[in-house]
Amino acid sequence: MDTQWPRWEVFKQDRPDKPYEAVGTVHAPDAEVALLNARDVFVRRPECHSLWVTPEAAVVRLTAEELAAQPAWLDESPGNAAADEIYHLFCRNNFRRSMVAVTYVGQVVAASPADAMRQAVQRQHADDTVLWWVVADSALTRSNDDDIASMFEPALEKTYRDQSTYRGRIFEGRRRGGTVKEVPGS
Amino acid sequence: MPPEPTHDERLAEFEARIARGEKIEPGDWMPDRYRQQLIRMISQHAHSEIVGMLPEGAWIGHAPSLRRKLILIAKVQDEAGHGQYLYHAAESLGAERQDLIDALLSGKAKYSNIFNYPTLTWADVGMIGWLVDGAAIKNQTMLTGASYGPYSRAMVRICAEETFHYKQGKEMVSLYAQGTPRQRKMAQDALDRWWWPSLMMFGPPDDDSPNSAVLMRWGIKLRSNDTLRQEFIDEIVPELHAAGLRIPDTDLRYDTDSGHWRTGPIDWDEFWRVIQGGGPMNRERLRARREAHDDGLWVREAMAAYASRLAVTSDQ
Repeated sequence: MDTQWPRWEVFKQDRPDKPYEAVGTVHAPDAEVALLNARDVFVRRPECHSLWVTPEAAVVRLTAEELAAQPAWLDESPGNAAADEIYHLFCRNNFRRSMVAVTYVGQVVAASPADAMRQAVQRQHADDTVLWWVVADSALTRSNDDDIASMFEPALEKTYRDQSTYRGRIFEGRRRGGTVKEVPGS
Repeated sequence: MPPEPTHDERLAEFEARIARGEKIEPGDWMPDRYRQQLIRMISQHAHSEIVGMLPEGAWIGHAPSLRRKLILIAKVQDEAGHGQYLYHAAESLGAERQDLIDALLSGKAKYSNIFNYPTLTWADVGMIGWLVDGAAIKNQTMLTGASYGPYSRAMVRICAEETFHYKQGKEMVSLYAQGTPRQRKMAQDALDRWWWPSLMMFGPPDDDSPNSAVLMRWGIKLRSNDTLRQEFIDEIVPELHAAGLRIPDTDLRYDTDSGHWRTGPIDWDEFWRVIQGGGPMNRERLRARREAHDDGLWVREAMAAYASRLAVTSDQ
C-alpha cells in the first residue's frame, strides 16, 4: 500500500496573545493524526500554545495577481441573509522573508466560501496585501489546553536544540584547563 | 474585456515581478520551466534531508554520552522535519509527494552527493555538522531569498534550526582536536575524509553549470556555485586552523592580494563518478531507504484502517 494520505494545512499559535500563522502542511489519515504530525513537524522547539489543522482542500486562497485579474471580488455585494457560517481570515501583507505564509486577521459570518473571500478582500485590502486565505470554522480541528503539557511543553526542556547553548561554553572550559570526560567510540 | 495577454507578455510581467523582489505564490502565473526546475530542485533538496538522516542516524546507538545522544537524535529529527517542509513546498507546485518518494526509492531522483560517503568514526558525526551543515547553511541562506514564496519560507524555517547543527559539530570536533592523542587523531582523520566532498557540495564549477543564467534571472538561484564555495572556504579555513586541525590540501594558501584562501584543484572526476552511482555508499543508502519504507508499511496500513473506521463510525 503506497498511499500518501490527504494533506492538512497547519496553523500554529506561539502564545495566547499571538495570532495563528500558517506554517505548512502534513499528511495524515485523519484529523487527530494530523495534529500529532503537526506537533512533530512544526513544534520540535518552543514556542507553541495551540495548533489548528484543516484539510488542505478546505482552504480557499487568493493571490494579489488573481485579484487583479478578477476585480469583481471587490464589488460590493448586498448583505446575505443566508449567511450563517463562521469563516476565519488569514492574510499576508508583504513579500518580506518569513517562515509563515499567512497570519490570522479575524473572522466573518458568510453564506459560502466565495462570500467569505469577498468579505475578506474588501475588509483587508491594502496595496501591499498579497495573499488571502479563508477557512470555515467547521473545517478546523484544534488542539486544546489539556494537550499543552504533553504535546508542547516538553520542547521547553530540550535546550540542546537551541544554537545559543553552544556559545563558547565548552571552549572556555578547555582554556581554563577543564578536562574532557568523553571517550568517544568506546 | 481586455484581450488575454500572450505568453511573452506574461513572461515579461513574471520576470518584472521577480526583478521587483516580489514572491511568486501558488496560484500566480509562472512559466512551465520555472515550475519544473523548482520541483526538481526542491525535491532533490528534500531527498537530501531524508537520506541525510542515515549516515548520522547510524551512530545514535554509539554516542559516547547521553548529552551527545540527545543532540544527535534532535538533529536527525530536524532533518526529517526539514524534508517535510521541502516536500510541502514541492507539493504547492502540484507535485505529489508519493511520486517524489517513488523517484527517490527507484534511484531516478538525485540527492546531495555528500551522503554517498560513509561515517566511519564518531568524529564524522561532528565533522558533518561543522563542514556539511556549514556548507548547506551557505546554500540555504541564499535560498531564503528565492523568488518562490513557499520555497523561501521553508528555507527561513530550516536556517533557523540548522545553525544548531553546525554549532554542535564545531563544538564536538574542536573539543576532540584538543583532546587526547586518540581524539586528535580521530578528528584529523575525519577532516581528511570530509574536506574535499564538502567543497564539492556547492556543485560543479560555474563554467560547467549550464542552467545557471535562467535560474538566476528567475530568482531560483541567487549566487553562483563558485561564489558560495569561496565564501565557505574563507570562513571555514580559519576556524579549522584555530581548532588545531590540518587541512588536507598542500596547495592551500592565503592570497593577500584578493583576501581569499585558495585551494588546490578539486577532483571533479570523483564528483561525477559518485553522483552517477560509483560512490562508496550509493547502494547502501537506497537499500536503507527502501527497507525503511517497506518496514513502515504495516504502520501505514493500520493507521489507514483506523481512519476509515473512524469515518464509518462518524457517518452513523
